[in-house]
Parts: sequence; structure tokens; C-alpha cells
Amino acid sequence: MEQVVATLFNVLILSSMYILVALGFAFLFNMLGILNLAHGAVYMVGGYIGFALITSVGINPWVSILIAALIMAAFGVFLERFCFRPFTGDFNRIVMVGVGINVVLQTAVNAMLGTKMQALPSLVDGYLRFGVVSVSYQRISIFVIGAVLLVLVSWFVRKTKRGQQMQAISQDIEGAALSGISVHRVSALACALGSGLAALAGCLMGSYLMLSPYMGDLMLIKALVLVILAGIGSIGGIFVTGLILGGLDAVAPVLFSGAVSDAIPYVVVVIVLLIRPRGFFGREG
Amino acid sequence: MTDSKNGAAGKLAGWFSSRNSGLSRCVIPVAAVVLLVVIPLVVESLYNLHILIMVFFYVIAALSLRAIVISGQFPLGHAAYMGIGAYAGGMASKWLGLPPGLSIVGAAVFTMIIGILVAYSFARLRALYYAMGSLFLGVAIVQILNAGGTWTGGYSGLSGIPPMFDNSKVTWYYVALGLLILSALALYRFESSRIGTNLKAISQSHLVAESVGIDEAKYRILAVAVGSFFVGLAGAGYAHYVGTIATSNYNFMATMWLFMYVLVGGINNFYGPIVGTFILILIPEYFRSLKTYSPFISAGILFLFVYLMPNGFAGLFELAVARIKGWRAGRTGNAAAD
Repeated sequence: MEQVVATLFNVLILSSMYILVALGFAFLFNMLGILNLAHGAVYMVGGYIGFALITSVGINPWVSILIAALIMAAFGVFLERFCFRPFTGDFNRIVMVGVGINVVLQTAVNAMLGTKMQALPSLVDGYLRFGVVSVSYQRISIFVIGAVLLVLVSWFVRKTKRGQQMQAISQDIEGAALSGISVHRVSALACALGSGLAALAGCLMGSYLMLSPYMGDLMLIKALVLVILAGIGSIGGIFVTGLILGGLDAVAPVLFSGAVSDAIPYVVVVIVLLIRPRGFFGREG
Repeated sequence: MTDSKNGAAGKLAGWFSSRNSGLSRCVIPVAAVVLLVVIPLVVESLYNLHILIMVFFYVIAALSLRAIVISGQFPLGHAAYMGIGAYAGGMASKWLGLPPGLSIVGAAVFTMIIGILVAYSFARLRALYYAMGSLFLGVAIVQILNAGGTWTGGYSGLSGIPPMFDNSKVTWYYVALGLLILSALALYRFESSRIGTNLKAISQSHLVAESVGIDEAKYRILAVAVGSFFVGLAGAGYAHYVGTIATSNYNFMATMWLFMYVLVGGINNFYGPIVGTFILILIPEYFRSLKTYSPFISAGILFLFVYLMPNGFAGLFELAVARIKGWRAGRTGNAAAD
């Protein structure tokens, strides 16, 4: 019972974090076809900024996480303006810039803080108990924050004017521009939003698991899995694939030993992609 | 083709250039090879030789990547194939006790077979979906190698691969250089042959290519087969040279670095991957005294090329040649520049 509840919470937390990071990646990818390889590094640096603000500067953890998200959102605007916009449509150069930013951020964190694994201090203490089962408030709060953020983001994309403009651009860039949408401004907003969400996820994962300078590489691949399995162009599908991958990642270690459990999700993903080459909800054509 | 007219020399020139035969196009490659052959006679430092040997193996890997890229496929899991070659060769030598030379060639063939099987099942995936499918497959391969227990050494890697040539750096240098020259000649021949032309046609438009009778699936599989053979060769050779391998050398970022070698050198030119690998390994190596900060040098090179040289080093070279030709033509009064 204990194990079942713990695994269930693992599934929910991992899924919500994966979805948060993948959504930010998908905004740029669906709208402009930008493969933002720096997204994992943004997620990692967000976590480290939160960590530094809490431990070195001594700011309240909640405020620190918010500041970290804002800093990375500003960095997202910078990324869009100077690293992606000059090369729109040039896949090779966007990949090169992404790898370069990735290396710069990883090296900077490495050089300043070392490769030692760190963890953000617990945001809330204590346990929620009912009967034999106890769940830490920490886990509950991480999941609740993740879920609230996801609801907010999907509300933003579906209902607000900017969100609808983003959808319009991902359907047809030229058509959107012709009908008076400022493509540059909206994509800068999308990059800022995506980077901010990634930084939030980095802080939350940093307090749930550990921080390491290379955690971004792994998360980048998870985000790619979510976006591709959902199908390019599908935002809603990311929620489904996020639950699937979160489920695989949380359940596999219970059933199999260490390294085998790491391999299983990717083998499953490759098989699914062979059966459905355009993902679950992808556009045909 | 004017190959047959000039006998052996013309044939050699034809090998290097199918478009305009002429010895002028082989001057730079031959000079580079002569320079590389002379280096061990001049350079005393074994460490420098070690770096060059690694560069040679990675040049083979980068060239093999380009052999697949010219067919319009972006294998974002290519480094994992290098891992397959390295682990297959290392395990064959260590556990089966095969002679190292045999296990290196065997590993290359094994990697090619895996590549063909994968390419066959990926035939439906195109462009971005192919890239992503091979990315996930690459991650899966690395994780499977991690899960191999004592056979592959798991996360701590495979160590104790039997040494070759008494680990003499100079011998290894010439072996690696020989492998590089043979692979480069074979891949150049492959690219400039009719097969290479067909692959380039497929990469421009698979529909048009099929409409003129090019079997798209067959040629795409062929490109992957050739690419994975040579990357397996590079991986197995590298594994026998260093003796210890770990899966972290073959993960997604390793693939991205192979792509960076190709892109920095220039993806549109056969010599691009060669130049790019030298630039991206040797220059950061020169600044290794910076220790933890040295990756900044690699990133700096990437930014330099992204912002200033969109077509890589080869693009810059071609531009310079065109400018000089234009300048000469202008001075002698010839109207035709280029």
C-alpha cells in the first residue's frame, strides 16, 4: 500500500514536471520549428539559481523560485532575440547555437558550483498521514504547484488573445503575420514563458530529487519524447504522453533493477514511434 | 570522365574528383597526408600524438555521419552506433579472445548489420521524425549497454580490452592514419559515385527522385549501411586504442558534437568534417590549462562559426577561392569571374 501510494505520487510529480518542461519546448518547436537544444540547460540553470538564492542569499524559498523563473524568462527573451530569430528556418545553425548555449551554461555552473550533487531545501516540512500511508507535504505541494501551473498554461494557450495568436502562428506563420499578429513579439513571449516554466520545473525537481549540472540533458530528451510522441503541433497530446512517460519512469524502477528500468521507457518510445510515425495526435501529411 | 586517358595518375585524380579531373584538386589533400605522415618523426611529445590519434578516429566518425546526411537523413543517434562498434569490438576481444584486428573489422560489420536492420524498420520515418526516432533509439542503445551487467561493465564502462601493438603510440598513429585515409578514400568514392548523386537527389526531393526511378528506400538503407560500417570501425578502433570505454562517450550530446564537427567544417563539402574535427578538438585542447573553463573555448568556436561563417570553414574557403579568382580575372581583363 505504502509503495503503491509512493509510486502514484512519483507518477504524478514526474509527469507534471515533464509536461511543464515539454510545453515550453513545444511552444517554440510548434510555432517556428525551432529545436531549442538549450532548453534543458535553462531548466538546469533555473534550479541552480533557485538553489543559490535560497542557500547563499537567504531569501524565502517561494520568492526565490519566483525570482529564478523571472530571471530565466528574461534569458528566454534574450535567447529568442539573439540566438534563434537571426536563423529562422536554418535548422543547422539553430542546432549549433543551442549546443553552444548548452555548453556555456553547463560550464558556468560547473565552474562556479562544482559537479557535486546539490538539493534545494525542502519547501514545506511535515507529513500527511492517513492510516498506514504517509505522504510528505513536500511532494503534495510540488504536485499541486505543477498541476496549477499546467491548468494556468492551458488556459493561457486556449483562452487568452496571446495564446490564440500562438496557436495561429503554429498553424500558419504567414497567414498569422498577414492578419496582423506580430510574430516576433509572440515568439519572444513564448520563449520567455517556456524558459520561465522550465526554470520553475528545475527548482521543483531540484527540491524533489537532486541538482546536477548535467540534469538538463536528460530532461531535454524527455521533453523531446513528449513532444514527438504527442505529434508535432499538438499541445493537448503532451499531457497524455507526459502521463505515459511519467508512468513508465516511475513504475519501471519498481519492477526492474537499475539500468534495465532506464532502458525500458526508450525502447517503448521507439516501438510506439515505429507503429505511429507521426505520434499519437500529429498532423498527417 | 577523363580518368582513363592519363593512366594511373589520372585515375588517382579521378578518385579525388569526378567533376573536373585535374591534379590541382588533389594538391591540398596529398599535402595534408604528407604532413600528417611526417608529424611523428618531428613531434616528440606522446601526448600530442595521443590527441591526434583520437582526432583521426573522430574524423572517420564525422565523415561517416556526413555519408548519411547527404541522403537527407539526420541520424541524431549516430554516436550510439559508434558505441555499438566500440562495445562489440571490445567484448569480442575481451570475452571471446578474438585477435583484435579481426574483432575491429567484425565490429564494423556488426554495426553495419544493426544499421541496416534499423534503417529497414525506420523506412517509413522521414525528415524530423527520422531524426527523432534515431535520437530515441540512440538513447535506448546507450541504456541497453548500461544494462548489460558484467558483459558490458554497466555504468562504469568496459575496461581491460586487450592492448594492440604493445600500445606503442607511433604504431597506433600510423594505423589510425591508415584507417582514416582508407575510409576517406572509400567515402569520397561513395559520395562522388552515382550512388552519391542519387542520395543527394533523394535529399532534395524524395518524390522527384522516385519519379525518375531512384529506389528511395534502397538508397537510404545503403547510405545508413555505409555510414554505420565506418562509424563502427571508428568506434572499435578507438576502443582498442584507449582500452577503456564508457557509455557516456556515446550519448545524445556525443552525437551533437559529431554534428558540430560536420557543421563547423561545412556540411556541404566532403572535407568539411575533416577540418571541423581538427578545429573543434585541437583548439580547445590547446587551451586545456583553463581546466573547468576550457569548454567555453569550444562554445566560442561554435558561436564564431554560427554568426560569421554560415557555411562552415569550407564555405569560407570556397568564398576566398572565388574572391581570388574574381580578383585575378579582373586584373587580367577576363570578364568571366568564376
